[in-house]
Amino acid sequence: MRRYSTLGTIGWQVLICAIVLSVWQWGYDLRTRLPWLVPDLLDPYFISKPSMIFDNFLIQSCLKSKLGVFNGWFNGEFAKCLARNENNLWAATAITLKNTFFGFVTGVVSGFVAGLILGRSDRLSAIFQPFITAVNSIPRIALAPIIVLAFGIGDMSKIVTSWIVVVFLVFFNTFEGARSIDEGFTNAARLLGASEWQITRTVVIPSTMAWVFASLTPAISFALIGVIVGEFIGAERGIGRLIIESEARGEASGMMVAVVVLMLVGVVLSAIIWRLQAYLLRWQRQRSAD
Amino acid sequence: MSALETSAPLSPRASADRRVEVKGLSKSFQLARTTIEAVRDVSFDVRRGEFVALLGPSGSGKSTVLNMIASLIRPTGGEILIDGKRVVAGKATPDVGYVFQRDTLFPWRTVADNIGYGLELSGVPVSERRDRIAECVAQAGLKGFENAYPSALSGGMRQRAALMRTLIVEPQILLMDEPFGALDTHTKIDMHEVLLRIWEREQQTVLFVTHDLGEALTLADRIILFSARPGRIKDMFEVDFARPRDAVKVRETPRYAELFQHIWHSLGEEFVKGRSA
Repeated sequence: MRRYSTLGTIGWQVLICAIVLSVWQWGYDLRTRLPWLVPDLLDPYFISKPSMIFDNFLIQSCLKSKLGVFNGWFNGEFAKCLARNENNLWAATAITLKNTFFGFVTGVVSGFVAGLILGRSDRLSAIFQPFITAVNSIPRIALAPIIVLAFGIGDMSKIVTSWIVVVFLVFFNTFEGARSIDEGFTNAARLLGASEWQITRTVVIPSTMAWVFASLTPAISFALIGVIVGEFIGAERGIGRLIIESEARGEASGMMVAVVVLMLVGVVLSAIIWRLQAYLLRWQRQRSAD
Repeated sequence: MSALETSAPLSPRASADRRVEVKGLSKSFQLARTTIEAVRDVSFDVRRGEFVALLGPSGSGKSTVLNMIASLIRPTGGEILIDGKRVVAGKATPDVGYVFQRDTLFPWRTVADNIGYGLELSGVPVSERRDRIAECVAQAGLKGFENAYPSALSGGMRQRAALMRTLIVEPQILLMDEPFGALDTHTKIDMHEVLLRIWEREQQTVLFVTHDLGEALTLADRIILFSARPGRIKDMFEVDFARPRDAVKVRETPRYAELFQHIWHSLGEEFVKGRSA
């Protein structure tokens, strides 16, 4: 692959952002002059505008009062504003993040363990195979209303929804990974005197890791999706709740703020996974000397 | 010429001297509804400290025999005794080391951690492990690569590391399945030197599978020649070069040429058969 200069790449990225944001911001203004060019969808009523979104962000995050005055940090205005709204942007982000984290962790751990056990046992995988195929055919999100009904509108229903979308993803990847272990490695370990448990710990788990990590980036997005859908269906707090409230008020910029926050959260979480992967799978990165 | 004429079976020896006894071993595989007979009625003994090469064309079942001795494959018939104890498939025999054709180094472990793997399994303390790893690293000429991952090494270096991973636990019986088959000629002869020096010092009992006659002659005390499928023992040859051997110089002696000629003909027949089979 040809290497392109970093500066050139960044230049193009900035240009693309500038074009998209400009069309978003000013595109609808052209409608009076060129109505055939501008689609209805550009109407700020639906998609808001970057400037309005930014303004709404400042208000929702209590940095600015609704009157447009910046809240002081030290005179207590900021704290008062936060206290007035239990589901302010910060609290909503925190609660959504927390539930995403628990859904993700429980989903990854249980999916990994189940995948490992079934992947290493022909008997168990033969028994469970039809059930797994059946359950996997259900669009997991369809279960969200049932989960909210069963676990209430608190945090637990969000964690369970999140868990159920993550667990299968991680399970299938771990399962495939555990099935496709190079027999040479297990034989080598066995002939060096490894017990079954030692083989699992020193051969099966490390060689499955690459497969597990391949599922973690989508898993983190799935975990977030699970929580947001759970919050749509019934919640008192969280970013999903913010979106529903803004929608009820017909306030596009409010929804957009939530979407942007979700995007940023998603990017940060994925970046954490990438860093972790780069470290744990560092053995994959060195290239041969010959 | 008397050594050349030695034929199977060898004269019986005291049973205490026998390390590995292979008795009437056979193996058939099921492959797409046809039965393939890989090994038919193979019997031989290996003495303590003897270096035996199993030579034959590919498909002659020599690796299958080795894998049965290693307990990796269950025989269809016959039995294997190591120090008088029966080998059970799926249960590793202590004291038996195995070097694979492909190096099978764990790609997620550094060179040092790969070499030290066997010690780690048996719970050898870190400080002792470190010393013994350093010794092995030096012996394999891998100094400076301790913390490299296998993917960064050349084929020869990887195979040396794999050899050390097996040797560090000091197995008394060493099973080697074409361990240098994938290496270029020069690297291969370097590896022969490394192996000869180690064997002269440690005097392990070695079973070495190869299809390379030169390799078998350089290393072994005795060559067991396998026929094309189904694998049977066709002949045995004593290799009487003086020890210690020099892997390069031994190839230049008239005796080497003589033995080579003699066995080559017999081996050649099997290669032709193996091709038409």
